[in-house]
Amino acid sequence: MASDQPVVEISELSKHYGEFVALDRLSLSLNRGSILGFIGPNGAGKTTTIRILVGLSRPTSGTAKIAGADCVRELSKVRRLVGYMPDKFGSYDNMRVREYLDFFGAAFGIPRKERQKRVSEVLDLTNAVWMQDRYVESLSHGMQQRVGIARTLLHRPEVLILDEPANGLDPEARIEMRTILLRLAAEGRTLIVTSHILPELSRICDQVAIVAGGKLRAMGTLQEVTRTLSQRRTVEIQLLSGEGMQAAAARVKKALEADAEVTVSEAETIIRARTSAGDDTLGELLRAMVLAGDRVGQFREVAGDLEEAFVTAAREAEAERDAAGAAQVASREVSK
Amino acid sequence: MSGIGVILGRELLALLRSSKVLAILLTVSVSAAFVVLLKWPTTAIVDLDGARGREVFRWITYAMLAASILAVPVFPSTLLVREVRRRTLELLLNSPLSRSSIYFGKLLAMLGFVVLLLSTTVPAMAAAYLMGGLTLTGDILRMYAFLLVVCLQLIVIGLLVGTWSRNTESALRWSYGVTFGLTIVPWFPDALFPGGTSPLAKGMALLKLISPIPGLLQMLNQNSLSGTGLMESRDAVLYYLCFAGLFIVAGSAVCISRLSHALLDRSRSQGYITDDQEGWIQASRRLLYIVDPQKRSKGIPWLVNPVMVKEFQCREFGRMHWLLRLVAGCAVLSLLLTLASARGTESRGVEYTGALIIVLQVSLIVLLTPGLAAGMIAGELEGGSWNLLRATPLGPARILFGKLVSVLLTLALLLCATLPGYAVIMLIKPILQPQVVQVLGCLVASAILAMLISAAVSSLFRSTAIATTVAYGVLIGLFGGTMLVWVNRDAPFGHSMVENTLRLNPMAAALNAMQAQGFTSYNLLPSAWYVAGVSSALLLVLLFVQTLRLTRPD
Repeated sequence: MASDQPVVEISELSKHYGEFVALDRLSLSLNRGSILGFIGPNGAGKTTTIRILVGLSRPTSGTAKIAGADCVRELSKVRRLVGYMPDKFGSYDNMRVREYLDFFGAAFGIPRKERQKRVSEVLDLTNAVWMQDRYVESLSHGMQQRVGIARTLLHRPEVLILDEPANGLDPEARIEMRTILLRLAAEGRTLIVTSHILPELSRICDQVAIVAGGKLRAMGTLQEVTRTLSQRRTVEIQLLSGEGMQAAAARVKKALEADAEVTVSEAETIIRARTSAGDDTLGELLRAMVLAGDRVGQFREVAGDLEEAFVTAAREAEAERDAAGAAQVASREVSK
Repeated sequence: MSGIGVILGRELLALLRSSKVLAILLTVSVSAAFVVLLKWPTTAIVDLDGARGREVFRWITYAMLAASILAVPVFPSTLLVREVRRRTLELLLNSPLSRSSIYFGKLLAMLGFVVLLLSTTVPAMAAAYLMGGLTLTGDILRMYAFLLVVCLQLIVIGLLVGTWSRNTESALRWSYGVTFGLTIVPWFPDALFPGGTSPLAKGMALLKLISPIPGLLQMLNQNSLSGTGLMESRDAVLYYLCFAGLFIVAGSAVCISRLSHALLDRSRSQGYITDDQEGWIQASRRLLYIVDPQKRSKGIPWLVNPVMVKEFQCREFGRMHWLLRLVAGCAVLSLLLTLASARGTESRGVEYTGALIIVLQVSLIVLLTPGLAAGMIAGELEGGSWNLLRATPLGPARILFGKLVSVLLTLALLLCATLPGYAVIMLIKPILQPQVVQVLGCLVASAILAMLISAAVSSLFRSTAIATTVAYGVLIGLFGGTMLVWVNRDAPFGHSMVENTLRLNPMAAALNAMQAQGFTSYNLLPSAWYVAGVSSALLLVLLFVQTLRLTRPD
């Protein structure tokens, strides 16, 4: 689905609020038709990046472009290229869903006849036709999120930026949201989605970017990101029977480094090890087990997950912050 | 009792921690001290009859009443709405606390704030007492007790409104509306249709006494106002206290009964739409409603400003079927005013009737405009929809134009409703035609100024409740505060001081143009128009700059 044409280009983007650095020389590029999962802990700089991309905030330095349009100098062009759904819905009292969408359609200058058609289309696309006559403020959170997406689609934007679209949704609504997002990507739109629900993102995104402490920590496919950030790998060794499991676990523990975590699941007859050992060490371990007579059924590495990468990135940022704080204290001491 | 104590402690502490409360207390305290300073004897001449002391007493009482009417409804009316929106009322209702404990806890906390508010004037009142002419129990304590009852009634109004409103903006609007309805409106029927011995006339004369103002004026022996509608031969204090007592008891009972889970469970229409019904239902509804509120909207026309349409749609009474009702209401008001003009002109003269219509119109403008305009930007900032507007290609000028026109059209409708009243005046006394034109000019200036003040205030705050309260405060200060200077004309304020102050108030200019009693000696036109014009232009610039700032990237 994704083409080689970059549609979102961010280069050396920084945003400072006085002393506080919200974004620190962030650079990334996203191809047309991709779904980017933009993740990071609270205060990492996700919303700041998004606000710059939609023209709500001005960067201190660096550039951000959407389909070639500069997000600072060509604001009116950018507004037509981007569909933005903030984390706060922003409803109006006493307005029905159809009127709400009609207003935003008119704000984007869509002629009335075409607007009516377009409103019906986006309601259909988001499975929200049945709620068109309801009052916006009476909708549940999940329904409002759907109307929010419908609103972002009205002016046929190239890029959709959705801030926490799955936040507060029940499992069923989350599945529906996932289907809608995949459908939009299939139509060739580029999506930037932030979320704290990482398993959800890992299911739909073909690209993941992790930011923490205002810096981009990793970007790429899910596998690339987890490989970059995960310092430990999980190895599962399945034995054909539960006999001699504890002895086998002791052998595993001995073969790996001292702080490797080894757990035994007797019910599954699986020994799990979280280790930073390389491929050579693991090969040696397998050989040693076979030689010792352990009946190894499977010896496999479990793919790293996004949560782990996320936690690693967050810890990295925290360590950097602590180090910077300590350096500041030390320099103050020296100057005294 | 302990339940009441828990709520009382929490609410009172929250109030006392608020910087808004501190600002209110400081303002009232400084205003009262200023009055004393203004009147404090500077010569060795002894004021044997205590006239100065009584004057200071009057001023402090006015200040307290104004502060109470302005500040007291804000807190109780928004309190319950906030509790419902934050779902904390749910926690309270699920606790062992009874509904009456919750209600009385909140009521007493608000009363605590009122006591604090009134006590800020105690040093100034003590100074007035030292000036002489006042008795401690007969004047001062009696006045404080009376004001305490007025405030208690305002608190009950606020709490009662809070159980009906869905948001703080609407709660404030309705609280001020009901307060206005119970303090100012009761005067108009008797003033417009004076005298008469019919039961209706007697009823209208009695209706006036449900307002605290006649009672207050009676306690102050305020004969200088001398408006026929203001002074009362009956015991206005007693009448008011009886009404207020009944109101407080009944209001509290209703409020306690409404404090239930039903407050948290307000369902909205699930979207009944006439378009989906059979043909005969659609036809009969069109016949019945003329403009069917349940008909699907055809969309915003191509050339119409979408923000203007959105503003009308979002308003509680902004839909076409409500506007038609408003037109009908204005037509009825217009007929009544025409009748009043005709009758009043015969019995009291054209000037008197004209002045009453002017005061009624400006009162309506002051009451309605903050409700229409004070939330226009603050409301969007508070609700998070401003960022959505910013993300559209709409420029600041288009957004502002749409919002202002939506307010202006509603105010124009209101002003047009009173035109037949002026037509009758011109018919009876054709010589007054140029004056009536001048009056209409002043009223238009009043409406524009009120709208721009409220809108400018709205652009300065991120909370609708604060913006609405400040807008009401500024408008009451402009249209009512300057009249207080006129009330005390010649002592202590000289003629030029009063004239210059009245130039700020387009209502005073209208009264001057109408040659109303007490305004004939001033020369306010056209200078008042220039002042209003320049102020409006400055406010418009401020509003545009603020809108531009708010729409630009941060």
